[in-house]
Amino acid sequence: MKILAIDCSAGAASACVWQDGKVLGECYTNVKLTHSQTLMPMVCGVLEYSKVDLQQIDLFAVTAGPGSFTGVRIGVASIKGMAFAQDKPCAGVSTLEAMAENLRVLDCTACCVMDARCGQVYNAMFEIKDGRICRLTPDRALSITELAKECAQTAAPVVLVGDGAELCANSPDFSPVHARLAPEPIRFQRACSTASCAARAAEAGTLVSAEELMPVYLRPPQAQRSLKRRHA
Amino acid sequence: MNTQKKVQNVQTHSAAETEALGKRIAQKLQGGEVLALFGPMGMGKTAFTRGVAAGLGTGGVSSPTFALVHVYDGGRLPLYHFDMYRVEGWDDLSSTGYFDYLEDGGVMIVEWSENIEEALPPEAVHITFARGKEDDDRLITIESSGSDIL
Repeated sequence: MKILAIDCSAGAASACVWQDGKVLGECYTNVKLTHSQTLMPMVCGVLEYSKVDLQQIDLFAVTAGPGSFTGVRIGVASIKGMAFAQDKPCAGVSTLEAMAENLRVLDCTACCVMDARCGQVYNAMFEIKDGRICRLTPDRALSITELAKECAQTAAPVVLVGDGAELCANSPDFSPVHARLAPEPIRFQRACSTASCAARAAEAGTLVSAEELMPVYLRPPQAQRSLKRRHA
Repeated sequence: MNTQKKVQNVQTHSAAETEALGKRIAQKLQGGEVLALFGPMGMGKTAFTRGVAAGLGTGGVSSPTFALVHVYDGGRLPLYHFDMYRVEGWDDLSSTGYFDYLEDGGVMIVEWSENIEEALPPEAVHITFARGKEDDDRLITIESSGSDIL
């Protein structure tokens, strides 16, 4: 089975062609949000250099959130368009789950974290042991302070991944946690990890049609507050 | 956190002068600034924005009330012109791409900042427009927390 996977849910962007557990080709950039200009050339490039035609793709996969509003929208709309035209199924992968995939060989508690601004993060926790990834929490939005409190109670070593990893590592709240920062080459969600999650979704029979594929926006807790400031 | 606030007051006597003020401010912009505009309708906020755009070397500015955001990328720096008049909550705001543009390194001008004051970054320059003595007079207050904007 051939999978075309893309990720542009945050600052980094990537596209990957995957066949039966093998990465045939991947293109990755981390130069901030210019995804509307760079994503499709990356898709074309990775297909061309992997010598795969778009018509040969069996499954279209994307990190469908959480992430930046614009990035998630570009990624989901692009994969939806391609899958719809080819009449092939889609997999919408959790961005946080995709980045946990990067740590699969490491026994640890993966703290997958993306910057949701204003001291808030998108997060999910996973326990990784003997190459198996087990989800401990749903994808959620919470404050760095709350997350640090939770992490401090974890027995296994905590490894931070994602574009919020450094933010957490540098936060005073996290100093009692002694969390380790995933090294830069595996710190961010990647299209190859997205493809790997999509392959499992295909096995589990949880694929969706292009019409059914939807972006996932998590609402940060700040959204409860008024946007207008009250003046005394 | 309590950085020193710098307040400057400027008076203009016509839309053309308000535009010229925008043009002057544009010369100092380096990218990444957020100019948060406050004040009721007809106070010259769009004229001011036209001036900033001209100063950056781009043009064609119109009010983005319906589109919520207009992007002008023909100048020295990209200019993102927001109108928050119809924005009523965080979901609305997020769907304009506001938070993504904040990190883009361009210049942001935010009309009707009253509506999203809680979402302005702390380093935003607050520019408040009010009517002066005569009909065409405008009192413009510029509050910045760091470098000189004028």
